Amino acid sequence: MTAALQVDGLGVAFGGIRAVDGVSFAVRRQAITTVIGPNGAGKSTLFNLISGQIRPHAGRVTLDGVDRTGAPPHLMQRAGLGRSFQITNLFFELTVFENLQLASQRLEPPRQMLRRIGRGEISLRRVGELVERFGLAAKLGELAGALSHGEQRRLEIAVALAAKPSVLLLDEPTQGMSHGDTADTARLIRDLSRDVTVLLIEHDIGLVMEISDHIVVMHQGRMLAEGAPAEVRADPAVKAAYFGDASC
Amino acid sequence: MTSVLEFIQFVLAPQMITGLSLGVAVVLVALGLTIIFGLLDVINMSHGEFYAIGAYLALALGAAGISFWLLLVIVPLIMLPLGYVVESGLIQRVFNKPDRHVTTLLLTFGLGLVLEEVLKVIFGPNTQRPPTPIPGAFEMFGIIMPNYRLFLILFGFAIIVAVALVVNRTALGAMVRAAAFDRNMAASLGVLLAPVFSVFPTMGRDFIFMAFTVVIVGGMGSIGGTVIAGLVLTQVQVLSSLVVSPVWSDPIVFSIMVLVLVLRPQGLFGRIGHA
Amino acid sequence: MPSTPSKNTSAFLAFDRSGLAMRASHVLVALLIVAALGFAAVGAALNDTFYLRLATEALILGGFALSVDILLGYTGLLSLGHALYFGFGAYVSALVLKETPSFWAAMGVVLVTTLVFGVITGLIANRVRGVYFALVTFGLAQVVAKAIYNTRALGASDGLIGIPIVPINLGFMTVMSNAPVAFFLFTLAFVVLLYVAAAYLLDTSFGRVLGALRVNEHRVPFLGYSTHRARLSIYVFAAVIAALSGALYPMLRGFVSPELMFFTTSGNAVITVVLGGVGTLAGALYGSVILTVLKSVIGTMTEHHLIVIGILFMAVVIFLPKGLMGVVRPRIARLLGGGAR
Repeated sequence: MTAALQVDGLGVAFGGIRAVDGVSFAVRRQAITTVIGPNGAGKSTLFNLISGQIRPHAGRVTLDGVDRTGAPPHLMQRAGLGRSFQITNLFFELTVFENLQLASQRLEPPRQMLRRIGRGEISLRRVGELVERFGLAAKLGELAGALSHGEQRRLEIAVALAAKPSVLLLDEPTQGMSHGDTADTARLIRDLSRDVTVLLIEHDIGLVMEISDHIVVMHQGRMLAEGAPAEVRADPAVKAAYFGDASC
Repeated sequence: MTSVLEFIQFVLAPQMITGLSLGVAVVLVALGLTIIFGLLDVINMSHGEFYAIGAYLALALGAAGISFWLLLVIVPLIMLPLGYVVESGLIQRVFNKPDRHVTTLLLTFGLGLVLEEVLKVIFGPNTQRPPTPIPGAFEMFGIIMPNYRLFLILFGFAIIVAVALVVNRTALGAMVRAAAFDRNMAASLGVLLAPVFSVFPTMGRDFIFMAFTVVIVGGMGSIGGTVIAGLVLTQVQVLSSLVVSPVWSDPIVFSIMVLVLVLRPQGLFGRIGHA
Repeated sequence: MPSTPSKNTSAFLAFDRSGLAMRASHVLVALLIVAALGFAAVGAALNDTFYLRLATEALILGGFALSVDILLGYTGLLSLGHALYFGFGAYVSALVLKETPSFWAAMGVVLVTTLVFGVITGLIANRVRGVYFALVTFGLAQVVAKAIYNTRALGASDGLIGIPIVPINLGFMTVMSNAPVAFFLFTLAFVVLLYVAAAYLLDTSFGRVLGALRVNEHRVPFLGYSTHRARLSIYVFAAVIAALSGALYPMLRGFVSPELMFFTTSGNAVITVVLGGVGTLAGALYGSVILTVLKSVIGTMTEHHLIVIGILFMAVVIFLPKGLMGVVRPRIARLLGGGAR
């Protein structure tokens, strides 16, 4: 079975510094793969490379078996990639409904672009599904900017998921969340991984160990190790480089 | 052979000197735009009007008998309260609103309109010109160089160098006050350039347009790019009037900007993408 | 899983604030139409020509202001040179009409040429945003206006005069462009059609992407949309609306001049939109009426009406940022049964 997402020898340099260098790994379908590493390891840059925000100087990005290297973000999205952001990147001046409706529009056939949104049954139905799944029914009419931090992070994931991507990139989804919210989000992500392949960046080691099927460790732009959680935890190189300053 | 030399002496060189004196002024304003506005995130469309006000003040006070050198000191001082009123009375009011970029643009656009009209009402729509502060000229290599223009060029270069040095060593906090300095500088430039380029109601708009063109061509955030683009573009504008009718110099400069925008949108030396 | 799709999904539309606001705009435009009809009736009864022509010009400028509002209010782009397309439409229309006084020929040529011209200039202007966009659009208009000003074949500074009277054949009736009441009503219908086209487009899924561009441009590509293409498309659409409005101008006045492209025309449209209410479309039409009235009234009191209007403009930007519509529209939206808070 082809991997949902595959990166080979991916690399990019900024002004002489190799932010990401020779990173290769495969993301298995319907499994949760987590990228961890200390600050500055290049994790977010890796996501930017995969999602098309930055062009790599070397390497390949293959999505669902098709080479998508260098594709800009809007084409990556259409190819089946969804992405959430570490710093909440919602449409704060729009309501929760409007955010979700915008994100779900891509499910409609092209001719819907020139029709009123009220005629878009598919996207409206999708909004209903998302509202139920993410527990946002009570907040539909609220401005996204008025939500609590935890609710915003949830909406952030919902927006990334709206257009039914085959691979979902979640950049520190539990960033700034309370303990309870984090546990809920962990459950949510595990639930999601049944229909969509999840690639995650996370700092919360407890969460990472709990939900990951596969872990990729990055350090100074390179891949340090990868494997099942138990393997990675036991790896002495990883311990030396990373667990020294981990947050538990 | 002689006619080529004569051409250089009597036609080309004087034009280039005029172009240089405009060039240093444009570079100074463009530097303000690329450094300060890039950092501060405040957009002021009435910036050009401060330049015009400086020029008109020089005209009025000069006619009242005040010496040019005194004007260079007085005008920025007079502008201080005006700048303060604009800053805290107007811009700060909209600074915390959500749509503040567009709102500030609109507000300063309106302010520019009003200021321009006020100038037109007080001074009339015609072009006027204050007398040259340093009269006379001297000769070098057979080229006659007006003293005042030479002074402008040297003075301007000195300030450009000073700005470049200061920028490379100053903390961000000082930059905040630099916006006020930049406004006063615009007014002072108005005083300095008025004897050379005349004074008319739409001068603010023309000048600011030139400055922004320089920033686009040179590249936002690049000091070197701004200096080079500023000097080159002003030379193009001035020298093109030798070849074609003067009405086409603006379109020519504009076409260069369009070309740069199309082929290299971040500017010739720009590192940051255009905001 | 969801059992009754249509019932559930249409309930969501109560949370669609832009859709609701749009409907409030429609109500306000309908009111304006009624008022305009009344005005026409009075004008016809009194055999007036001057005020009807003035009102027709206000409508034409209102159509132009619509296009400026599309850019400013919905896409967040301040264009200070949009009069380029207004003037372009006026000149092309004038040139066609001088050859053959056919309304449909003029409109057809204006439409096609503006599409091309709009794409070319749009590609240039959309390389930048913010204040640079404002200045590049300003520069484009200045340069073309100056070029026309210096071109003898286009009438130079005097412009093109001698535009013939145009019989507008609508199939069921013919409107003569020199008939004050008839042409006023025709222009009203024309501008309302432009409004309907714009309002419809902005309420579509495409229109929502534009609104998203204004609120958070960075996220939009991740939703699957090319920001370049979206921005260029709406820019060309706005250019076409401006040009079609401009095409009516020579029919009304019998001449065109480079002033139509100058900064003053663009600036007036921006003032119109802000006074009426940015991002409401209806505000552009009301604003045009207000500005025309203001100019006439203040113009009789003082020569320097631009200063007064400029100060009023700034006051509106600071204290009443949503313009007249900002005061009136929410009330109407509530009357229509707004569900969202």
